[in-house]
Amino acid sequence: MAFRWSRMSPQLALTPAVAITVVAFIGSILWTIYVSFTSSKAFATYGIDFTDWARQYERLFKDKGWTIALKNMLVLGIGSFLAIVFGFILAALIDREKRGEGFFRTVFLYPLAVSLIVTGVAWRWMFNPSFGLQGALHSIGLTFISFDWLSKPETAMYGIILASVWQGAGFYMALMLSGLKSINTEIWSAARLDGVSFWRLYAEIIIPMMKFTFLTCAILLSLGVVKAYDIVVAMTNGGPGQATWVPGYFTINAYWVKSNLAYASAAAALMLGITALIFLPLVLLTAWRERARTS
Amino acid sequence: MPRVIFEDIIKSYGKLTVLKNLDLAIDDGEFLVLLGPSGCGKTTLLNLLAGLLDVTAGRITIGDRDVTDLDPKDRGLAMVFQSYALYPTKTVRGNLKFGLAAHKLPTAEIEQRIAWAARLLQIEPLLDRKPAQLSGGQRQRVAIGRALVKKVGVFLFDEPLSNLDAKLRTEMRLEIKKLHDELKSTIVYVTHDQIEAMTMATRIAVMDAGVIQQFGTPDEIYGRPANLFVAGFIGSPAMNLRPATLSVAGGKVAARAAGVDLDVSHYGFLTAPRDGQSVVIGLRPEHFGEPDAAVTDPAGNFSLPVQHSEKTGSDATAYLKFGDGLIATRVDPELIGRFKQGDTVNISFPQGKLHVFDAQSGRRL
Amino acid sequence: MSTGLLSGDARVEAAPRFPRKRKGISGRSIAILVFLSICAAFFCVPLYVIVTTSFKTMEQIREGAIFSLPSPITFEAWVNAWDHACSGIRCEGLKVGFWNSVAILFPSLMLSLTLSSITGYALALWKVRWAGTFLFILFICAFVPFQIIMIPLIILSSGLKVYGTIWGIAIIHAVLSMPFLTLVFRNYYKGIPQEIMSAAMMDSGSFWRVFGEIIVPMSGNIFIVVLILQVTSIWNDFLLGLTFGGLGTQPMSVVLANVVITTTGEAAYNENMAAALLTAIPPLVIYFILGKFFVQGITAGAIKG
Repeated sequence: MAFRWSRMSPQLALTPAVAITVVAFIGSILWTIYVSFTSSKAFATYGIDFTDWARQYERLFKDKGWTIALKNMLVLGIGSFLAIVFGFILAALIDREKRGEGFFRTVFLYPLAVSLIVTGVAWRWMFNPSFGLQGALHSIGLTFISFDWLSKPETAMYGIILASVWQGAGFYMALMLSGLKSINTEIWSAARLDGVSFWRLYAEIIIPMMKFTFLTCAILLSLGVVKAYDIVVAMTNGGPGQATWVPGYFTINAYWVKSNLAYASAAAALMLGITALIFLPLVLLTAWRERARTS
Repeated sequence: MPRVIFEDIIKSYGKLTVLKNLDLAIDDGEFLVLLGPSGCGKTTLLNLLAGLLDVTAGRITIGDRDVTDLDPKDRGLAMVFQSYALYPTKTVRGNLKFGLAAHKLPTAEIEQRIAWAARLLQIEPLLDRKPAQLSGGQRQRVAIGRALVKKVGVFLFDEPLSNLDAKLRTEMRLEIKKLHDELKSTIVYVTHDQIEAMTMATRIAVMDAGVIQQFGTPDEIYGRPANLFVAGFIGSPAMNLRPATLSVAGGKVAARAAGVDLDVSHYGFLTAPRDGQSVVIGLRPEHFGEPDAAVTDPAGNFSLPVQHSEKTGSDATAYLKFGDGLIATRVDPELIGRFKQGDTVNISFPQGKLHVFDAQSGRRL
Repeated sequence: MSTGLLSGDARVEAAPRFPRKRKGISGRSIAILVFLSICAAFFCVPLYVIVTTSFKTMEQIREGAIFSLPSPITFEAWVNAWDHACSGIRCEGLKVGFWNSVAILFPSLMLSLTLSSITGYALALWKVRWAGTFLFILFICAFVPFQIIMIPLIILSSGLKVYGTIWGIAIIHAVLSMPFLTLVFRNYYKGIPQEIMSAAMMDSGSFWRVFGEIIVPMSGNIFIVVLILQVTSIWNDFLLGLTFGGLGTQPMSVVLANVVITTTGEAAYNENMAAALLTAIPPLVIYFILGKFFVQGITAGAIKG
């Protein structure tokens, strides 16, 4: 086939994007994985000691901070699922009771427009042991309630979870609401005519119809949990002690505070691995939806 | 005005071959209609000519230029699309202008052409409107105008009337025909509507399954369908096609179908008929004689029971039981009263209007 | 009363969308509304607390009544937060961060919108043989955790002498948002009718002219959606600003975090809250004015999958 300039324009237009993908994403990922096998400290060194190539990873799993970070990630993940449940309940109620839809949606979604740092700062203030909510509750005699979660290692993660749910529930509500709206209105009428009860309608018809939406929400939430960083910095900065370390925090800390490039790279590589584990179902889900659509 | 020639065109997507070794030559100033059911490859052929798709193999020439590897805009064509494809954010004038500006024409020339096309299509008052403010018929005119202003030799139409209502469609049909007569340009027009094909075309290429089944004038296509596909596709109600067996004896040729012998001795056989040959005979509903009246040179007389009849205003069709099937006959609506369900009517069919096809190959005999 | 029954049936048939009687309000509706209102209150509490605290004096804050209204109302905390709050050893307030964020925002928006709209257009509407593969790679890149590419990007940007500069942060934002935004644009452009593109090919066939004259005018909404998405995500970003911002080029969120976290001695809570509000106001204003597009933006990404 003869050469045509017109065929080249789109390819030329795509070169910046391709270059970015190759350098900033693929190349950088490969570089980080490579470096995680070296013994680089503050600067990158490229020699790999093949007798001990997994040293950073071995160190990592012996590191108490990393173990805490992984455990906290799980806790945060499980706790944050409340945001999906809460989001679905809100969406279902808003969708059912059309009155005030615009108002409630606006209120539930506004935290998402705000920086996680702001969210963290706000909640950090509310959790203030002397002047925060606890003080207010104690002053009206409710002294049995403690609301100084952030200052105790056992409860600090729950404080972060609460703030995350507050920030994220609106997002899942919005996703669920658009899922609910895409359900054919005739189903509601049919269920009414058949006299199906409210609970059975949701449990047996609506929720199964929204399985794609639920899965999408779950995967997005998990990916967000792996990346969690800002909220931790703003609320506890990892403390008390290492009680609220998460993988993202651990990695940044290993690079900026410990200046250990290889160690940080190993932690980042494991974060990528976890992301890949979560991401796999998303890829499969996409393929599945594509098949469901075409068949 | 250029000739358009397709030579040995193959178009395939992976293993799926859409067009198979297709050859077609379109003359200067011809109004060629590509007619066929959906999925027959007619739109693919048009897109190959336009350059919107690339051929897998073969050659396309327009005039004396090989355009196979040219970009759409360099082929000297203009196209009118089924959905009109007007640029929604541009005014009518902007739509007409966009294709011209790309060719670096002087402003005065552009203005003059737009004025000319707008006058021709009576869209002058609409020039400053956006497509969303136009009716379906007006959009159609603008779409044609956008093609006209390019003053090219070949115009392509891709089912342009299928989104219009029946009345507008008839109107636009006449108008496009008139434009062709005035401009004397070559037109390649894709449609699945045989009325459009019959009324507008100078020649029709009937396509099915990626192959041109017959290429000829509307009269040829209607009067001498080349094979069973064309016979069944052209005509409404469709031609009655019945299996039959030929018997050749003493200079007489007869086709026996469902116990009725039809005399086909005077039929213009293209190949000599063989005794016992399996054939399919074709009888157009509109060629049956009036009930109980003789036709000249009849191929046969039928005495058949009426199954049911239907009227469509200007027309009426009666369905008669014939063997284990039905044959349709067109009847003068005044006489439809004679076709009562269960009655038996006598009708005859003129030999000159008969079609005989080989049962195996489907080709006209 | 067979006619009554019939007309009753017909009503349900004709208007299945409104099966509920509109007269009065049912018990269940009241219960739902009450529950939703309580939830709404829960969502509003932090906002209420920050706003009231920011107008209080430190004396009133020390009383410990977090829900009380400020009396007297003072703007001192706001002035201090804007002008004098200390981030580390520098006490120049949030205004430095604010102007840095503004300075980062504009070039970054220009870069990322141009880059991702053109890439999305090329992938959606032009024949590029490897488009499918590339889209898949972009899809994966959109979800990669930042930490895995952070270090090489720092080294790279230091090499290019943009590390620690406003432009460096702006470019990094454009680069990192490219995969996701490209997918958003690509999905939008995929919805443009094929025949419009065919007509444009017949008329012009020029990649850039078709983009500029036909496609861009048709993509008003998606530009607004992406613009808002980018404005909020750049403004609210912390991690990129932290890792790529130098002294004096840190965006507002980083300055805010420094002000709140690194205070020594007794924290000025009213100042902290005012600082948080100052940071939150720009995206909140956008949210309350252009909420519809904001919702479209955040759901566009999730539903594209």
